[in-house]
Amino acid sequence: MERAVPHAIPLGQMEVFQALQRLHMTIFSQSVSPCGKFLAAGNNYGQIAIFSLSAALSSEAKEESKKPVVTFQAHDGPVYSMVSTDRHLLSAGDGEVKAWLWAEILKKGCKELWRRQPPYRTSLEVPEINALLLVPKENSLILAGGDCQLHTMDLETGAFTRALRGHTDYIHCLALRERSPEVLSGGEDGAVRLWDLRTAKEVQTIEVYKHEECSRPHNGRWIGCLATDSDWMVCGGGPALTLWHLRSSTPTTIFPMRAPQKHVTFYQDLILSAGQGRCVNQWQLSGELKAQVPGSSPGLLSLSLNQQPAAPECKVLTAAGNSCRVDVFTNLGYRAFSLSF
Amino acid sequence: MSSESSKKRKPKVIRSDGAPAEGKRNRSDTEQEGKYYSEEAEVDLRDPGRDYELYKYTCQELQRLMAEIQDLKSRGGKDVAVEIEDRRIQSCVHFMTLKKLNRLAHIRLKKGRDQTHEAKQKVDAYHLQLQNLLYEVMHLQKEITKCLEFKSKHEEIDLVSLEEFYKEAPPDISKAEVTMGDPHQQTLARLDWELEQRKRLAEKYRECLSNKEKILKEIEVKKEYLSSLQPRLNSIMQASLPVQEYLFMPFDQAHKQYETARHLPPPLYVLFVQATAYGQACDKTLSVAIEGSVDEAKALFKPPEDSQDDESDSDAEEEQTTKRRRPTLGVQLDDKRKEMLKRHPLSVMLDLKCKDDSVLHLTFYYLMNLNIMTVKAKVTTATELITPISAGDLLSPDSVLSCLYPGDHGKKTPNPANQYQFDKVGILTLRDYVLDLGHPYLWVQKLGGLHFPKEQPQHTVIADHSLSASHMETTMKLLKTRVQSRLALHKQFASLEHGIVPVTSDCQYLFPAKVVSRLVKWVTIAHEDYMELHFTKDIVEAGLAEDTNLYYMALVERGTAKLQAAVVLNPGYSSIPPVFQLCLNWKGEKTNSNDDNIRAMESEVNVCYKELCGPRPSHQLLTNQLQRLCVLLDVYLETDSHDDSVEGPKEFPQEKMCLRLFRGPSRMKPFKYNHPQGFFSHR
Repeated sequence: MERAVPHAIPLGQMEVFQALQRLHMTIFSQSVSPCGKFLAAGNNYGQIAIFSLSAALSSEAKEESKKPVVTFQAHDGPVYSMVSTDRHLLSAGDGEVKAWLWAEILKKGCKELWRRQPPYRTSLEVPEINALLLVPKENSLILAGGDCQLHTMDLETGAFTRALRGHTDYIHCLALRERSPEVLSGGEDGAVRLWDLRTAKEVQTIEVYKHEECSRPHNGRWIGCLATDSDWMVCGGGPALTLWHLRSSTPTTIFPMRAPQKHVTFYQDLILSAGQGRCVNQWQLSGELKAQVPGSSPGLLSLSLNQQPAAPECKVLTAAGNSCRVDVFTNLGYRAFSLSF
Repeated sequence: MSSESSKKRKPKVIRSDGAPAEGKRNRSDTEQEGKYYSEEAEVDLRDPGRDYELYKYTCQELQRLMAEIQDLKSRGGKDVAVEIEDRRIQSCVHFMTLKKLNRLAHIRLKKGRDQTHEAKQKVDAYHLQLQNLLYEVMHLQKEITKCLEFKSKHEEIDLVSLEEFYKEAPPDISKAEVTMGDPHQQTLARLDWELEQRKRLAEKYRECLSNKEKILKEIEVKKEYLSSLQPRLNSIMQASLPVQEYLFMPFDQAHKQYETARHLPPPLYVLFVQATAYGQACDKTLSVAIEGSVDEAKALFKPPEDSQDDESDSDAEEEQTTKRRRPTLGVQLDDKRKEMLKRHPLSVMLDLKCKDDSVLHLTFYYLMNLNIMTVKAKVTTATELITPISAGDLLSPDSVLSCLYPGDHGKKTPNPANQYQFDKVGILTLRDYVLDLGHPYLWVQKLGGLHFPKEQPQHTVIADHSLSASHMETTMKLLKTRVQSRLALHKQFASLEHGIVPVTSDCQYLFPAKVVSRLVKWVTIAHEDYMELHFTKDIVEAGLAEDTNLYYMALVERGTAKLQAAVVLNPGYSSIPPVFQLCLNWKGEKTNSNDDNIRAMESEVNVCYKELCGPRPSHQLLTNQLQRLCVLLDVYLETDSHDDSVEGPKEFPQEKMCLRLFRGPSRMKPFKYNHPQGFFSHR
């Protein structure tokens, strides 16, 4: 474990405050740069840190390589979601989306390229944006979060084109079904809804908590994570992690994981999931647990696979959550090291 | 026989058979006057070589005749006897010759021996003479060298140089004409002059001595005069005291203090001077005094002669006591330790008066052999304090000044040179003695002007006024803040132990009007116990749980829910906030490792503490944090999502006004209280 060794130097007021901040930091989102060499991480204080994966993975990596290259205050509130286009880093937090140029981001005093706020219904409380989704075919961005709607924004003009309503409680996660194209959204109300982007209508609804095999009432009904692979969808959260066949809306495999999962993704022929509990879980499609690899945070909130073709040497899985550390897995079998804010 | 007859005829022949020869000699004397036959003279005339030839011939003849006689005798016959007789007579003649030759040989031998003997005697005589002469020569040479080496006393005297001599000496002594030529006379003259000079100088010396005596007497007289003056001046000062008091100018008192200050060791002196200056210039609440025995301080600097006398006395005593047992090694070591840790008899006392009439008494000591200063602290309040159980350590003299500056725990000696001294007497660390001696905090050394730089160890560290001056103001302010915050905590603890969180009216706006959760317990826990708790691991690993901190456990309850809060109080409270770690027992055990909302609650109290500080000097921080904790527990319990499968109503109905119950990927509860609207929202 790469925990910090207790300090030998006396701690003044500033050091104590910084230590407390680090202890209570949560990293909500990660995003890999288009060149594949850098990783951006956003935390609950609204800061974004850029780590150099290529430096940390190189053979001459020192302790400083595991620290961010640059850290800046991006938002006032927590940065819940980030996504990268081929030139920009888009980060979303308290109610607005900001864009940063990857080429400029390493320079000090970097300013956002633009910021946009979708039209909200209420003004009493600014709703958070929990999920960002890029739709490459349309060159648009979908945002979803606290106001229970999905907003689409055209990336070229910056205009908000559609608002998809249907959820009764706030939206946690989004997933894109490439072929159709359809968007899946999972929310606090316990339903996974499929939306057709061309018609802007809800096509299908799966109320996960109503299925007895996967519902777990003591955890709640909220859907925390979604991933889809054309015909199949895996979702988790309050109910158990389940693999669904979309056309028939039936749960095919239930993964025996007690802790609620906060992030799930398809990878090759495996399903990777992470949530409450230290480990990154690797599942076979049949429902068997292939491996559980412990990380350094007591709970994980986001997983990121660096599959950028430009940097094959930086092909790693990074996991972050309830700590100031980002675990780096070079090989899915074990945690190699941790980057730290 | 015939040989004897020949002997009779030659009485002068000296033979080895004694007496008859002598008799013969007497007769020879009488015959001497007539004709005498000197064979000795004959020896000189004859040639030895020819005698030798004759001897050989005679022997041959004898042999021949013997052989012929032999022949004739063996032949026998008539003529034989005549022939034999003839030959016998011839052989007798030959025998005679042989005898003569023998005598001659003997005489020659004797003569030779005599001559040799004479010569030898002569040689011996010469030899003796030679030895005698040589011996005398040597003796004389020794004498000569002795004479040559002789240094007369006059050469040891450094005489003035020749030029000077001729210049200075009066002519009747120098006598230049005579002395120039004759070195002996010159030396004599110089010696004369030397004597003359010495006489003169001796005269001068006697005069000076008598002068000195006179002057000494005068000094004595004047001293007596002055000493008689002193009591008169004293009486004048005494008389002026009432006037001083009347005019509020206690010069006398200050004067006395400065008097005693002269005997202070340098670091204490620096402290005294700087503190007095600061007190007069900036801070009227600071008062400085010197305590201790001045006589003992003076005794430290006794002159060496006295100590020698003491030594001789103690030697005498020791001889008497050698019969008694010597002190054991342990006692000796103990004594050595005590000696090393000895304090200077004088100490400086600083009294800091705070606004609420409580006073911080600081007594500063100087350890002479270790060259460090220590301090003992005591807090007295205007009114008697009833100490609540948990507040035991707050104002205790041992810990009230701990970590005034971060990391300055005062348990280790700040002087690196002390370690070597400690090794000699077996002291491991000063920690064991701090209760007795006081704490050697770094700021104390700085106030005394002592600086111990780690990079360049210096042999002697001397007290520096500028160092003391630069630290005085900050330290005094910190000390005051420390005392006041501790006193505030003291009062607060008394209330907390009774289960009431004392929130002052000017902090009431931070909290909603109705707070249901109650504080039921507030106790101190030991450092080790804190480290053992399962939910405090993160704080320990982050290095925030040192042994200089104070640890407490608070218990907040509402209904069946019990919230444990482990609190780390840094000595630097309230500029360094207390750190809370929570463990909730309700429907299972929830800590920050398995419940994101507990983590958020900790964050609300630990990270967002600045809004809880309250008005300066922010003594309300801890109580506000505790009150916020109660509010957070209320929110947590009331916003718990209802489990549809379980029957029955919720244990805690929602009374708080919240816009949304959950937000964000981690589904946070609304912990932030908004004033004055009174609703809860998310950060």
